[in-house]
Amino acid sequence: MSDSSIVLDGVIKTYRKGGEELRVLDRLSLEMQSGSFYALMGPSGSGKTTLLNLVGGLDQPDSGTLHVAGLDISSLSNAELASFRADHIGFIFQGFNLLKPLTALENVELPLLLTPLSRKERREHARHALDLVGLADRAKHRPGQLSGGQEQRVAIARALAVDPTVILADEPTGDLDRDSADAVLDLMARLHEEFEKTVLMVTHDAVAAERAKKIINLDKGRLVSNLDNPGAKAANSPSGGTT
Amino acid sequence: MIPWKLVPRYLRAHPLRSFLTLGSLTVAVFLLCFLYSVVTALNAGVASSSSSRVIVQSAVSLYVNLPLSYQPKIEAVEGVVETCKWQWFGGIYQDRSNFFAQFAVDHETLLTTYPEIEMIEGSDEEFQRLRTGCIIGKNLAQRFPELGVGKTLPLLGAIFPRAGGEAWEFQIAGIYESNSANVDNNTMFFHFDYLEESMDTGTVIADPGVGLFVVRLEEGTKTEDVQRSIDNEFSAGPQRVQTTTEAEFQRQFVTMLGSVPTLMGSIGGAVLFAILLAVINTMMMAARERTQDFGILKALGFQDRAAACLLVAEALLLSVAGGILGVGIAKVTAPIFQQVMGTTVPGYDVTSHTATVALIIAIGVGAIASLVPAWQAARLRPIQAFRAEG
Repeated sequence: MSDSSIVLDGVIKTYRKGGEELRVLDRLSLEMQSGSFYALMGPSGSGKTTLLNLVGGLDQPDSGTLHVAGLDISSLSNAELASFRADHIGFIFQGFNLLKPLTALENVELPLLLTPLSRKERREHARHALDLVGLADRAKHRPGQLSGGQEQRVAIARALAVDPTVILADEPTGDLDRDSADAVLDLMARLHEEFEKTVLMVTHDAVAAERAKKIINLDKGRLVSNLDNPGAKAANSPSGGTT
Repeated sequence: MIPWKLVPRYLRAHPLRSFLTLGSLTVAVFLLCFLYSVVTALNAGVASSSSSRVIVQSAVSLYVNLPLSYQPKIEAVEGVVETCKWQWFGGIYQDRSNFFAQFAVDHETLLTTYPEIEMIEGSDEEFQRLRTGCIIGKNLAQRFPELGVGKTLPLLGAIFPRAGGEAWEFQIAGIYESNSANVDNNTMFFHFDYLEESMDTGTVIADPGVGLFVVRLEEGTKTEDVQRSIDNEFSAGPQRVQTTTEAEFQRQFVTMLGSVPTLMGSIGGAVLFAILLAVINTMMMAARERTQDFGILKALGFQDRAAACLLVAEALLLSVAGGILGVGIAKVTAPIFQQVMGTTVPGYDVTSHTATVALIIAIGVGAIASLVPAWQAARLRPIQAFRAEG
């Protein structure tokens, strides 16, 4: 488990929908190694997003254990889960989920408010993160003034800013055109390669999944496969697009 | 840690809604200040009444005169220092709309029974000297700038008409200021002797009599004893009297207004309730719109209280701003209302106590209005906010 960033053991998650119980994750056991890039695939309703939410501490399993970054998060309180998310998790969402009243720089700075950094240090970190995603010149733009690809890059900078252990991405290219999607995927690959983050990306897109080192397949809440992807493309490879 | 920066940004994100909410809060707080000040002014006479004076009036009604012969008998009661006759004159200055109170009084004892009356222009000596002399309140002098010291104040007698229908003429000997709410600054006082003489000589056709006697008591005298003695003195007639403390006498006037103070209070309560509902509605809308943002904040690691604090802070910012603006407008417009309502609600003023109460109410409205949405925001789970299901 020491090499494993994420470990699930017999995790069950059930939702109630229309008076009917729906088992979304069914005794799922899975290990993901630190510093690797995983693509999580499967048909709709297979439990991908639920798994992502559990790993990110946004939800808790009904039974089973879940360790992330060495912590058993399956029994943490809401407040402890919030602290866990602040310390260990960076989220990238399909809909970008930036706060519209804030500028790009302020959005990136937002999670840094939860760190002991001074205001000046927070600003520096945020600027550096924006620079890494190639948007230093858009620092004062609001989300409404950015393209979809740029918004997602700001979201990546926000996820990166706090130096999390794990980066969770839910369909990060789902709302983007191909060029923007390639640029975002290239950044995701860099997060894993340059910054050695554990990246778990939910995707339906086979092209996106090709960037991952490992591909996990789920179906009906159960693990179908957890395989290496020997054809994974590195960041800034000829087909990897640009930032 | 709370991202406070979001509070003004959210308010600016919906400028029209913020402006309308702020506007309604401002109007409501202004109305509260106004109504509260009116009720306070109506009760001010009672609150500031002197305990060293009692009032003797007819036991039948305030509108029934007492015989002049009662005065020496009242003065003979133990504990009484002096008395002052008061008679309502009810004259008309130029037009009925120029209404203000006028009293024929014992000029020698008016200022000694009422030490709170201070001459700020002219002199008491001149008032004493002139048979037709009168003194007017400073607000009256401001209201009618043509009425200065040395000028003539003509009044048409409605209760005491002069034979031939000509006007009474009074010489303004001074302008007074009262430092107590039980004597307002919109009244005119003149010599009772002048009224009496006019009746005696037949230039005025009216029955002689006194509306009431104001009685100044010796220091340390038991008010109840004097009241009882005076009432007993005239218990056999010819005209029975009722002796009351000044506070009780003032209270009669407030009671005469019937349920006006209650009505004012009810309107204030309704205004408060309406604005509370409006602010609750605004905050519920704000919370609903920010559901996703609160989900994002929680996903980033902010605690549940962050979302709640943002909503409470937003509501408090609006309510404090509305409160300050409302109180400010009430303060600025107070002199206008003093002019407009000088005779009906003398002593109208937006005091610092009223301003503080209004501000506390405004803050209370903001706090209460944000409670439910803040509680809901705190309980919201990020996945509910994102409506995510795998």
